[in-house]
Amino acid sequence: MEWFLKNIDFVLGLTTTHLWVSLIPLVLGSLLAVVLAKFIPRKLVASTNGLLSAVYAVPSLALFVTLPVLIGTSYLGPTNVIIALTIYVIASMFFSARDAFSQVPESANFIARAQGLNRWQHFIHVELPLAIPGLVAGFRVAAASTVSMASIGAVVGVRNLGYLFLDGFQRKIAEEVTAGLLAIFVIAIALDLLIWLIGRALTPWARKRAVSV
Amino acid sequence: MFSLADLWMWFAEPENWLGRYGLLNLLGEHLAISLSSILLASLLALPLGILIGHLGKGEALVVGLSSISRAIPTMGLLFALVMLLGIVNRELAVTLALAAIAVPPILAGAYSGISTIERSTKVAAIAQGMRPIQLIWHVELPLAASSIIGGLRIAFIQVVSTVVLAPLVGLGGLGFAIIQGLALRDFAQVTAGAIAIVLLTLFGNLVLGMLQQKTRLSTLRQIRAR
Repeated sequence: MEWFLKNIDFVLGLTTTHLWVSLIPLVLGSLLAVVLAKFIPRKLVASTNGLLSAVYAVPSLALFVTLPVLIGTSYLGPTNVIIALTIYVIASMFFSARDAFSQVPESANFIARAQGLNRWQHFIHVELPLAIPGLVAGFRVAAASTVSMASIGAVVGVRNLGYLFLDGFQRKIAEEVTAGLLAIFVIAIALDLLIWLIGRALTPWARKRAVSV
Repeated sequence: MFSLADLWMWFAEPENWLGRYGLLNLLGEHLAISLSSILLASLLALPLGILIGHLGKGEALVVGLSSISRAIPTMGLLFALVMLLGIVNRELAVTLALAAIAVPPILAGAYSGISTIERSTKVAAIAQGMRPIQLIWHVELPLAASSIIGGLRIAFIQVVSTVVLAPLVGLGGLGFAIIQGLALRDFAQVTAGAIAIVLLTLFGNLVLGMLQQKTRLSTLRQIRAR
């Protein structure tokens, strides 16, 4: 506790970086995954499934240091980490998004077509709202994994909460490592709660039904 | 940066394959640490998951454990356990940390494989006079095999990814090539290490994925054949 109180500004600075490095991939990756899941041609589904599940298996540190070779970014710094985490979010959200869209009842799609909604209206007003519970569930999983995985970015020079593990280990300050663990845990739980609340707010009909039954 | 020729030279150097820190030695260390911790986790999580699925009690434990574990950074767990048990016991500490990472997915795979079996299937087995042990061995385990292997596959991915960080706490494994390479700014070596790691995980993922598919198909075939 003493260490934490003395270094609170330092930890807050690392937290800010940690949030940026996690939130940008989460938002960007989820949007891309939803678009990909919805608009991918049927012919490409099987190969995309295979590719994304393979990408998901690649260890993050290996991906961080492969990106400079593939796209010419610098070895150290947040760019590779943000791009790599975005790829992981896409890989994880693609599957939950496809599940979420496939669970939209066929009757709802039928009625929407019968009412003369065009493809875009159908997506925005019918499919997307009905897929929210599945998308939110997938987003919660992706958020927790991303916040936790972002700490590995410290190995390639990103000054985020993972730095507390490296520094605390080298200088034998157990409290520093514990502070890192706790801070990441708290961020992951808080983010999870926030996403759950947003999901609840976006699906008022689900609550009303639960009350009236 | 480095050129393709540098990378080729790195791979052409026998020392980089056969030396103390050559790829073969590092691969052996990587596999030994990963497999022993997955084995340890399986000894604990498989019986527990099967039991929870069989009894239908304790679902909250499985769900709670897997959502809490997701919020704990694997890197932090690794560092914290090594500090807790001391650097001299780092092998034990890393094995325990990796086992802790492997338990939730293995537990979830076993539990969900068994709990999603249709009730009528279990009732039919009991009506045929099967004892609980026979029900588990002849009905539940074969039907859950695919999901159990799925859990092991996720555990494998997470454990092998985390072992990449083991050199940071004084152990070996393929991550050594990356972490030493970054420190020496020898990016050909970094890339060679990354290639080896990617090949290892893709191979493991492919084998376990095929096994997962095969057990699912063979169960279906057995049911159809009857």
